[in-house]
Amino acid sequence: MLLFSYLLMSGITTGALYALVALGIVVVNKATGVINFAQGEFFMFTGFVGWMLHVQFGMNYPLSFLLAVTVGFLLGTLTDRIAFRPIAKTDIVSLVLATVGIGFILKGLARVIWGGKADYLSFPPITSPEPIMVGSLMVIPQQLAVLAGTIIIMLIFAAFFRLTRAGKMMQATADNSRAALLVGIRTDRIYTLAFGTGAAIAAAAAVLTAPLTLLYPDIGFAFFLKGFAAAVLGGLTSLPGAVLGGLIVGIAESLAGGYIHSSVMELSPFLVIMIVLVLRPTGLLSFRKARRV
Amino acid sequence: MPFGRRNVFLALLAIGAIIPAFANGYQLFVGNLVTIYILLAIGLNILVGYAGQLAFANAAMFGIGAYATGLLQVHLGWPFWIAFPSGGLVAAAVGTLLALPALRMSGLYLALSTLAFAQATQWVFLHWERVTFGAGGFKTPQLSFAPLPISKPIGLYYVSLGLVVLLYVFARHVVTSRTGRAFVAVRDGEIAAESLGIDLLRYKALAFGISGFYAGIAGGLYSALLNFVAPEGYDLFQMIIHKATIVVGGMGSIAGSVIGAAIIILVLELLREVKGLQEIAFGALLVGFVLFMRGGLITVLRRYLRGWEEPLRIKGGESTETPPRAAPQPSVVDK
Amino acid sequence: MSALLLSVQDLHLSFGGVRVLQGVSFDVRRPEIRGLIGPNGAGKTTLLNAICGIYRPQQGSIRLDGTSVIGRKPSDIAQMGLGRTFQSSQLFKGMTVLENLMTGLHRQTTTGFLSAGFCLRRGRDEEARTEEEARRALHFVGMSEFADRPATALSFGQQRVVEIARTLIGDPKIVLLDEPAVGLSINRLAELDALLRRIRDQKGVTLILIEHVIRLVMDVCDRVTVLDSGRVIADGAPVAVRNDQAVIEAYLGKELRARHSAS
Repeated sequence: MLLFSYLLMSGITTGALYALVALGIVVVNKATGVINFAQGEFFMFTGFVGWMLHVQFGMNYPLSFLLAVTVGFLLGTLTDRIAFRPIAKTDIVSLVLATVGIGFILKGLARVIWGGKADYLSFPPITSPEPIMVGSLMVIPQQLAVLAGTIIIMLIFAAFFRLTRAGKMMQATADNSRAALLVGIRTDRIYTLAFGTGAAIAAAAAVLTAPLTLLYPDIGFAFFLKGFAAAVLGGLTSLPGAVLGGLIVGIAESLAGGYIHSSVMELSPFLVIMIVLVLRPTGLLSFRKARRV
Repeated sequence: MPFGRRNVFLALLAIGAIIPAFANGYQLFVGNLVTIYILLAIGLNILVGYAGQLAFANAAMFGIGAYATGLLQVHLGWPFWIAFPSGGLVAAAVGTLLALPALRMSGLYLALSTLAFAQATQWVFLHWERVTFGAGGFKTPQLSFAPLPISKPIGLYYVSLGLVVLLYVFARHVVTSRTGRAFVAVRDGEIAAESLGIDLLRYKALAFGISGFYAGIAGGLYSALLNFVAPEGYDLFQMIIHKATIVVGGMGSIAGSVIGAAIIILVLELLREVKGLQEIAFGALLVGFVLFMRGGLITVLRRYLRGWEEPLRIKGGESTETPPRAAPQPSVVDK
Repeated sequence: MSALLLSVQDLHLSFGGVRVLQGVSFDVRRPEIRGLIGPNGAGKTTLLNAICGIYRPQQGSIRLDGTSVIGRKPSDIAQMGLGRTFQSSQLFKGMTVLENLMTGLHRQTTTGFLSAGFCLRRGRDEEARTEEEARRALHFVGMSEFADRPATALSFGQQRVVEIARTLIGDPKIVLLDEPAVGLSINRLAELDALLRRIRDQKGVTLILIEHVIRLVMDVCDRVTVLDSGRVIADGAPVAVRNDQAVIEAYLGKELRARHSAS
């Protein structure tokens, strides 16, 4: 039972992390209808920036967090200007290749700036590394921070999309960009905002998790796949779906890793993606009519 | 047409044929690498450029070909000359299976599924240690050309070169035929293609299978070139390299694949010291070409030289009145 | 070979809860030019999609020369002799006009990738014949000089004509045309009129025409079927249909009724 509770907690935490990555993907997708293939590298790069600020420059954690998130936002807007705006919805092949290219530029940059071929950077824990007992579950405070962070971000965005004008404009743009234009919505600003926000979320995820994990330049892609698996499980346009998806992927992965074999953990995104896309492309929570994707 | 495709390629072939006479070991190695990447580029171009399937599994096929070739020799004792084509066929078979998800999804979703598949393939290479020897990889038996008095590097180089010529010509014939037109039809208008009697599953499977075969053959050659097979040679970065070859060369052009592959290998070798720089360079190449030269270098060639057009049919005699045909433009009409 | 080419009986088609076609029945003879008109949203394109296999009706039957087509794949139905053009240009943008037409012969040819790849004689002969037929089809629609132009270089109207040629090349029994006249000038309209007649008379091909350009429908169609809200409300000679009360109401009635209630 102790093993199970440990695995569960571990799964929930990594799940929360995947949920954050998924949220970033969903926010961009909700507004623009595309997937940003550089999302994983945004995560990695801003994680490194956070590390540099906090560990190398000695800045305090909250400030590093904010700055990293800002850098993330800027990266997102840059991607929008470079990759999305010129190509937009006309040619999906070019868009995917452009965002993938940006991801690789970031990865190479990170390697050149901060690390050699396989340097792993460790982020010192922010809160006390001593586990505390929550009921019968053993928990590290940082894990709670990640969990709390995920829930807060999700709530903020749910409110944003449902209650604010900007959020509704984003949804309108995603549904029908031409109609949105005709009603006077500055769609290009919406796109920029979406990309920026998506990247900012990735940055938040990175800095929240950095104390729990090792940072290295190749980390981006794995998280992107897992985030995408979570997002697609939840329905790609549903924010709570992304969170749910993330938790499911995290918990399933953790349990499989503990009870079957640790190597199975890396296989999970592939299985989830294939099963969902082939069997139920709309995901678990999305109620939109399934289009032939 | 003095600088037309045929003449230029024949000249390059002639140069390629005599390179072993005055190249050192490293240069010969790079030359061999070029031939391998030409094969990879041609196969990928058929799948992505002609048939329009945005798939990211080519590096995985490359790896499957390499692993199959190597493992058939190591585990079953097969001679290289049987293991090698078998490796190509194995990769073709696996590639064909990917046509099934390709039926259900396209664009982004196909890209991500094939990416996930590639990741799963990496996982198999890494963890099925009993068979694949895991992360450390394994050595393949030294290839020997006995009783011919040819050293392995030179012999392998000529075998690769010969295969490139064969498979290049084969590809050119395929895309200027009914099959090639069917591929482009699938790319440019699935519904119309179906209404004309083109079976989508069949042609997607064919495109995946052919590109899988080309990648698998390239993989077999690669395993022989290195005498070694390990997972990291067939990862996401490898996939990006492949994509870069067809973006730089020109999607929807077999000749472009050749050009793209040659240039990419050049860049790869120039930057081989620093992996980070390689990644930046390839990322920048992708972004740069996608933004500023979407049709690839072949469009530049076509603008200034005659004889580089690649119609989708057999044109008898010299091409006369055809203006340089633009590379497929993105659809302006919302689908 | 009976005179009855296409027989649609009691067709019902719904998407989700929305009933798009409700009990549609009509027969098409050979050869004939049949007009299919009706207000927007009446279900005309849906009906065409159902006939060629893109949508599957929940109820009813569709028979082509006596054989049911329901449940078959579009490519199979095409094989049975059905051709179709679409509202937006579906020419293959990466090909020239001639290559587009050659692709139209896909069903009738057999060269596989291996025959092509190894440049076998059989493949090359078939390719030459394909090109020959493609040129003939292009000539039939009067666009021979565009043979080697990229499809994207043609005007919208020209593209539609090439599309018609592409379906004709497969020797279909019946062709479904979705708004072929859209955007055509008066001159081009006359050319299209003549082309449609040529297709019926010289090739014996039956045409079903969705159109909003009523002048063309009245001129060239042998019979006209009118759809409104998923139902057939009139079916007969063009003049009769034009004067049919129900048809007039369907097109204008809603507007008139609205004006009445407002005043």
